Amino acid sequence: MTALTFTLNGEETTEAVEPREILADVLRDRLRLTGTHLGCEHGACGACTVTIDGVPARSCIVLAVMCDGKSVETIEGTRDDAAMNVIRRHFHEQHALQCGFCTPGMLMAARDIIARHGQPDEATVRRELSGQVCRCTGYMGIVAAIRSAAAELHPEAAARPMHTVSSLA
Amino acid sequence: MSADADPNGWIGARLLRKEDARHLIGASTFTADVRVPGLMEVAFVRSQFAHGTLSGIEKPEGLEARVFSAADFPDLKSIDGGPELPSFRTAPYHAFAREKVHFVGQIIAACIAPTRGKAEDIADQVFADIDALPAVVDTVEALKPGAAILHDGFADNAFIHATVSEGDIEAVAATAPVSMRRTFRMNRQATVPLEGRGVLAYWDHRLDELVVYLSTQGAHMMRLGLCLALGLPEHKMRVIAPDVGGGFGGKNRLMPEEVAICAIALKTGKPVRWIEDRREHLIASVHCREHHYDITLYAERDGRILGLKGEVHIDAGAYSLWPSGPFMEASMAARNLPGPYQMQALHVETHTVATSKSPMGPYRGVARPGACFAIERAVDELAHELGLEPADVRRINLVASEQMPYRTIGGMRLDSGDYPKALSIVREMVDLAALRRRQMEGEADGRRIGVGFAVYTEQSGHGAAEWMKRKSRIVPGYESATARMLPDGTMLLLVGIQNHGQGLETTLAQIAAQEITVDPANISVRYGDTALTPFGFGTFASRSIVFSGGAVARATRALADKARRIGAHLMQIEFEQTHLADGAVHGPAGKVSLAEIARAANVRQEFLPAGMPPLLEETATYEPEESGGFFSYGAHAAVVAVDPETGVTSILDYAIAEDCGTMINPMIVDGQIIGGVAQGIGTALYEEMPYDESGQPLATTFGDYMLPCAPELPALRIHHLITPAHGTEYGVKGMGEGGAIAPPAAIANAVCDALRDTGARIWETPLTPRRVSDAVAEAMGEPA
Repeated sequence: MTALTFTLNGEETTEAVEPREILADVLRDRLRLTGTHLGCEHGACGACTVTIDGVPARSCIVLAVMCDGKSVETIEGTRDDAAMNVIRRHFHEQHALQCGFCTPGMLMAARDIIARHGQPDEATVRRELSGQVCRCTGYMGIVAAIRSAAAELHPEAAARPMHTVSSLA
Repeated sequence: MSADADPNGWIGARLLRKEDARHLIGASTFTADVRVPGLMEVAFVRSQFAHGTLSGIEKPEGLEARVFSAADFPDLKSIDGGPELPSFRTAPYHAFAREKVHFVGQIIAACIAPTRGKAEDIADQVFADIDALPAVVDTVEALKPGAAILHDGFADNAFIHATVSEGDIEAVAATAPVSMRRTFRMNRQATVPLEGRGVLAYWDHRLDELVVYLSTQGAHMMRLGLCLALGLPEHKMRVIAPDVGGGFGGKNRLMPEEVAICAIALKTGKPVRWIEDRREHLIASVHCREHHYDITLYAERDGRILGLKGEVHIDAGAYSLWPSGPFMEASMAARNLPGPYQMQALHVETHTVATSKSPMGPYRGVARPGACFAIERAVDELAHELGLEPADVRRINLVASEQMPYRTIGGMRLDSGDYPKALSIVREMVDLAALRRRQMEGEADGRRIGVGFAVYTEQSGHGAAEWMKRKSRIVPGYESATARMLPDGTMLLLVGIQNHGQGLETTLAQIAAQEITVDPANISVRYGDTALTPFGFGTFASRSIVFSGGAVARATRALADKARRIGAHLMQIEFEQTHLADGAVHGPAGKVSLAEIARAANVRQEFLPAGMPPLLEETATYEPEESGGFFSYGAHAAVVAVDPETGVTSILDYAIAEDCGTMINPMIVDGQIIGGVAQGIGTALYEEMPYDESGQPLATTFGDYMLPCAPELPALRIHHLITPAHGTEYGVKGMGEGGAIAPPAAIANAVCDALRDTGARIWETPLTPRRVSDAVAEAMGEPA
């Protein structure tokens, strides 16, 4: 077992883990943060998306020990995030979820897309979502929710060309 | 949320979903999120051979107590199902393989450890001694003389051969001016809900029962099946289906993993669970589709269809899953082959074939995507052969609204609607005339533009008569609901269906709200727990809004009736003078709130009329009087651009005109349509579960099983026609599957239309770039 010390949703956390354990399993099974879902366990569906030092990552293909000294945020850590709460409201209003299993990962990706693109057009949102699988909605509600949330969060972005808004969070 | 369709306002309201909140903050509870102290994880040892004799299992030394196989459970009953027909052959399906294995992925042993990783470490050390036998892979070849036989005692590899025949096909064949024969194939798929299957079981000593958390579409049905397999009385088992992350049919059959986990929990006394990983899902969960059609259409020269003769092969995989087995697939395919068209004769030979593949189960649309693909591709072929516009050929053959109710030659009673109108609407939505002009001009980038149509029907709300016709050993001809008003006037609805994305926590609350005039915010819908709700069959076959909605309406109406009686008593007026509005019973000169009435009924019985029993609680069941079903329908039009060089198909436009009767919540209806079409597009262009000659599955990750993602999918355009059904509550029809039925047909027709001048035609799904470019190369006489 290896001692893993990292910042989890803003709090310093230490947990003994096996070197082979993936971040998602440590979050879910050891730390009981079950909002991070596992849809494929090979980095293809995006349901397990969290952020590591602010950058979205698939927690199913990240070894937990690689997060030592880093800052990890899960869906549970976003409850007081003003931007995420706006995005959540738009997901609700645009019927952007059905079974809800992809939703936490989808929200983590959505917040990042909006942070990087300001007010992305439909094609940009769809391209940026290429690594997030939703089996229920056909994505129309998700795309609409991200676009309408972006318009609310970045009203100024509409007038600017997209590349000046982009910056990796 | 306001609504304007109705005086009470709730039927037809675009009410935002009550179930969203927990999912949006990551606080939902799926089966894999449930923990109990001392939980052990299970990893299965699965067959790596498609077909073979299992002569022994060696457990790793020192770990024998951690490994379980068939020998540890001699009393487990086999879990095969099928129709109640003497001609249906059965092969016993044991949760743990006994003498033989019949597909790659079949369970041989289970290993338990505190973590899945440790359990897999043990599984790696288990040796299964298997002597390989020839695999049975090709559905049609499997029935040819000399084919290897999969199951001992089967005369050939069919579970059943059956004929669906009506009218005089020989007479039609003898006189029809046109006869056209074509073969089509819809390839095999997995169902792929994003949450895989999962089960957790432990013995609850206080309640003296086995508690089973299960990702399922029907908790009550699974208790029935599990108890049959385990030999446990049903009062000793509680099945809880918590949040379920999609099902689409794939979580509606009794599966060996569930039985194994329960058996291990009973044997060891320990809580155990198994959470399906994606590889297990793809190779060993419910498979679907894989139909082969050889059909001949007989027609007049003006395109009028006279009859259809054909042969259908259904690849059922290795076993017949409980309860109903794969036979429904064949009978539904045959009976739906005439689609929404008029014809005089139908003769279809069906073969439900056993192969060395994971067993077939239902998947959104069940059989109809295949049947729709075959008939609609054939209609396009007929139109081209006769030099007619495919949309025109459809129009002259469609059942017209004035013919409703119309019994198709396949025996389906199409109840209501205007099918030609749906077709003409999508024809206008995509502007067929403009597309034909654009095709003449050609594309600057060398791609070809094509347009394809498909018209479908979706049987929903079918009751006992229809299921008995299918010889089902379970007859899901009703649903039940308990409406309970609590002392403060808020309500619980306890229902036997399973909400797993369909928004039923919202729509059922809307129905109750309509009847009782309580805001849906004050009505909670509970389901997915055999300890909590009356018996019900679950959510499948587009049945929940008709059946469960009907039961909720009835139960709530009975409750409202009692509330009015109490209100009349409290106001000292006649029952007939009362009516419900805004959460109160109103009389000519006053009102009593439902909260006050509920308080009297529950905790202050002295205010009740003399002799009236206390409580405000009613349980009702519901089955529509006409149990042949109510048919939603629609027309889809796809516009595609195909690159003949690369074979890549892009969807430029997709228009839908559909009619599901009265909509309880139009937002949720649209969500179901869009999601269904996305899955239909997956069938059309991406999803396939191929096998090699030795029966090895070739798509075992999302790297090789292609799901449609946001960039590939179009923004759909939807037009609603609304023809309320006669004979259901509010005129609703089920509509959960319809979206998935037509896309393979519409898109394949569009691709063939695009490539028409190359001569390339595609006969099977999915229309991958490889298949399309090969077809073009072959048509042009070039090497593929």
